[in-house]
Parts: sequence; structure tokens; C-alpha cells
Amino acid sequence: MVAAHEARLHVATSVDDAVAVLTEAGGDAVPMAGATWLMRAELRDEPIRPLYVALGRIEALKGVEIAADAVSIGACVTHAELAGGLAGLPEMRGLAQAAGHAATPAVRAVATVGGNLAASGFAAADLAPALLAADAEVEVAGSNGTERLPLAGYLATRDQAAAGSLIVRVIVPRGDCVSAHTRLPLRVAGDYPVAIVSMNVAVSPDGTIADLRIGVGSVEPVAARWTALEEALASQPLDPEAAATAAREHAGVFAPRDGVEASGAYRVRVLPALVRRAIEALAASR
Amino acid sequence: MPVNLVVNGEERAVAAPPLTPLADVLRDTFFLTGAKHVCGEGFCGACTVLVDGKPAVSCLTPVGLLEGSEIRTVELLADPSGDLSPLQAAMERHDAVQCGMCFPGILMSLTALFETDAAPSRDTVRTALAGNICRCTGYERIVEAALSVCQPEAAQ
Ligand SMILES: Cc1cc2nc3c(=O)[nH]c(=O)nc-3n(C[C@H](O)[C@H](O)[C@H](O)COP(=O)(O)OP(=O)(O)OC[C@H]3O[C@@H](n4cnc5c(N)ncnc54)[C@H](O)[C@@H]3O)c2cc1C
Ligand code: FES
Ligand code: FES
Repeated sequence: MVAAHEARLHVATSVDDAVAVLTEAGGDAVPMAGATWLMRAELRDEPIRPLYVALGRIEALKGVEIAADAVSIGACVTHAELAGGLAGLPEMRGLAQAAGHAATPAVRAVATVGGNLAASGFAAADLAPALLAADAEVEVAGSNGTERLPLAGYLATRDQAAAGSLIVRVIVPRGDCVSAHTRLPLRVAGDYPVAIVSMNVAVSPDGTIADLRIGVGSVEPVAARWTALEEALASQPLDPEAAATAAREHAGVFAPRDGVEASGAYRVRVLPALVRRAIEALAASR
Repeated sequence: MPVNLVVNGEERAVAAPPLTPLADVLRDTFFLTGAKHVCGEGFCGACTVLVDGKPAVSCLTPVGLLEGSEIRTVELLADPSGDLSPLQAAMERHDAVQCGMCFPGILMSLTALFETDAAPSRDTVRTALAGNICRCTGYERIVEAALSVCQPEAAQ
């Protein structure tokens, strides 16, 4: 066991430097980005690590780059930077809302995309369902080089990732679609949402759903796609009430988590209302 | 290795362990006790200071990440002669302060807001204060006081 005052910090200068130091330290070191999750480790009864590798000075992890076919988001982009960087892109509205409304202004100013996705044990991450709905991929660097994998695959394996691996960037495809992010916090801001529903939809010329992805966060321990509801709504019009009814019918697929702020059953019960709101927002933003 | 900071305009070096929260460095090393270390979880905002111009919860800011950063705390707001800043004076005039625990954070969140938006709307002021919890007041007088500084005609 290491006490907080004994922990060391290495300020990495490049991705290679960070990977090398993390790999050499094995399980004794972890990356540190905005530190808003790591600085509360003791409150969650999690151990302090002997060594933290600060990523914030690595230029390659910064910046939101917008190309014709995709948006590339550096792992150390903060929530505030992401919300600002996506402001002009209508199809990214859901992701921008997720980044711009999570947490509080002071937390959004430092908390990063990489930290949000890599914080294992954090069920209420807002960016995870938003990026699942956006069909994002994650680029991960490690001692064996760089690999690119779908976000769902990253979330499923992040706990077993080899020491030394770190998220470099997140790649979000662009397309002719609209997106929305709905969440239920118990207060207006500052606390973790009870449940989150993110949607990304491409609509046919006749107004029906051509392609739909739904990400659900904070209900199960890890954010996931709601494929049963995606299939049920395929080729349907963007009808908020009908979608809420379908959501009620397909809510049995979740194995929800109980928490101090809400029971698992409550998290599932609010999903149809969040689905209705998301479809309303999608219909309005077309 | 010491971390070099500029705190309220003065160059300072601090040799604290890297994970030490900035709030503790400010209070225990520099005796700047305005920022309050209350919840230690980032939720109450009483420890809010400006790091490179942006509001930060200093309870969750490890000092080891701050090499070369510019820190501003509530102590900088009043004139060295003791005169309150316009924002502080407005809070007093609107009788907005009760126990005062939340105020150092509230003042710094509003200072950051006014530097990016000189004439924010009522909603923007509320949003900027979303991370500052006040257990005594109902926030209304705080918002009124803030609006009275930046857009006197909008405040009632
Ligand atoms: C008051 C408050 C309110 C909050 N509200 C919300 C909310 O509404 N919604 C929400 O989603 N979150 C919320 N959070 C949580 C916060 O968003 C996350 O803690 C944050 O996104 C983590 O990012 P960070 O950069 O601070 O991560 P850090 O604390 O630096 O790291 C988090 C984890 O990710 C790892 N890590 C960091 N970067 C990388 C990388 N590039 N590659 C691999 N691993 C990495 C670290 O090792 C650690 O395990 C809140 C936090 C606070 C304090
Ligand atoms: S003490 Fe830092 S947010 Fe409460
Ligand atoms: S005046 Fe007491 S907490 Fe705000």
C-alpha cells in the first residue's frame, strides 16, 4: 500500500515516453489526465498507485480535428474543449451536449475524453454512451504499437488491458445523421446521472428511421448499445410516444445496477421517458 | 522536484508531494485560506480557484500537474488597500452572503465567467454557478448581485 504523499508523478513528454514508463512500471503505474477521477480514489476505497504518468503535456493527445469523413478527438481534449470544438457540426450535437452538460464548469475545464472512457468502475460516464451512439473507434497505443478498435470492444476489455496501453484518440465518423443526448440527473447539475440515453439516427427521405444507434449509460456497470430497441424502431417514423412504448417493451434486456442515488429498477423505469425526449430532440433537429 | 507557480502574480516554488491537492498547498503552505477544502470530491465548488484563467476545483487538482501555471485566488480580488472589488461589493450590497463558506468559490467562478463573457444572461450566470453549492441562500441574491455588476439594467 502506498500513501498519497508517497506517490510519484512522471510528466510524460510524448506518447512513446508515456508507454515506455507505464510498461516498465507494470501494474504499479497508471496514466493521469485531468485527475478528477483519480484524485478521488481513496474516497472509493481504491489504492493509490506508486507512480502516475501525466499525459497533459503531450501535444499528440490534444486537439479536435474535423475532416470531411471523420472527427478525431485527442485523448486529452477536455469536455469543455470538445463541446466548443463540435459546436458547428449538427450531426455531433448529441456528443457536444454530452460534453457540455456533464459535471460542472470547473470539472469540464480539466476532465478529459480519455479519462472518461478509461475510468473503469465509472458507470455514469456521459461520453461513453454518446460515443457508442456515434459509432466511435478508439486508438490505443501500447508497447506493441498502435491499434484501433470499436469503442464497445475497448470498454469490454479495458480492465484487462496490458500495462502501458493508453488511449491516443477517439475517431468519430461523420455522416448525414442527427444525434441527441438525454440524461436524468437528480439535481440539475453536478451529480451523476441516474440514466443516460444517446441516439444517432439517419432518416430516410420518407421520414422513417434508416439507421439508428442507441447508447445507454449509467444503467448497467458499463455503457452499452440498446440493440433490441434499435431493431424494434428500424423503419419506423420518429414518433416519441411509439418509441417510449417500444422502450418499455424492451427494457427487460438490462441487468441494472443499484446505487446510493437510485435503485437499478428505477434506472430502467426512467428509460422510456429518456427515449421519448431523445426522439423529440432528434425530430426537432432535422 | 519543486513545482514553480505564479500565485496571485507572485512567483512561488512548492516542494509538496505531487498528488497534494492545490487547495492544501494554497492554504497550508501559502496561507491563502480563502479557498475552502470542504467536500474534497469536486462537488461543492468552495475550493474553486482560477488555473490559467479557468475555474478549477483545487481539491482535485494535484500540484504536480501545475508546473508553470498561473493561479488566482479570491485574495486577489480586493484592492490591496482593502477596498472590495465591484463583484464583492455587489454581493455585500445585495445582502447575498450568509455564512460565506461558498463565497470564495462563487466569486472565482463568476470572475472566470466575466472574463469570457462581459454581459452574460441570467441563465449563463446560473450555468456558470452550477458547480458552486450554497447551503444557506437560495442563490437568487447571488445571481442578482452578479447581474448588477455586468448588466445593471437586467438586475431587479
Ligand atoms: C463534481 C464532479 C461531477 C462529475 N459529473 C460527471 C458527469 O455528469 N458525467 C460524467 O461523465 N462524468 C462526471 N464526472 C466524472 C469525470 O467526468 C470523470 O472523472 C472524468 O471524465 C475523468 O477524466 P480525467 O481526465 O479527470 O481522468 P483521470 O482522473 O485523469 O483518469 C481517469 C482514469 O482514466 C485513466 N486514463 C486517463 N487518461 C487515459 C488515457 N488517455 N488512456 C488510458 N487511460 C487513461 C486513468 O488512469 C484513470 O484510471 C464528474 C466528476 C466530478 C468531480
Ligand atoms: S472542496 Fe473542492 S469541490 Fe468541494
Ligand atoms: S452562504 Fe453559506 S454556504 Fe453559501
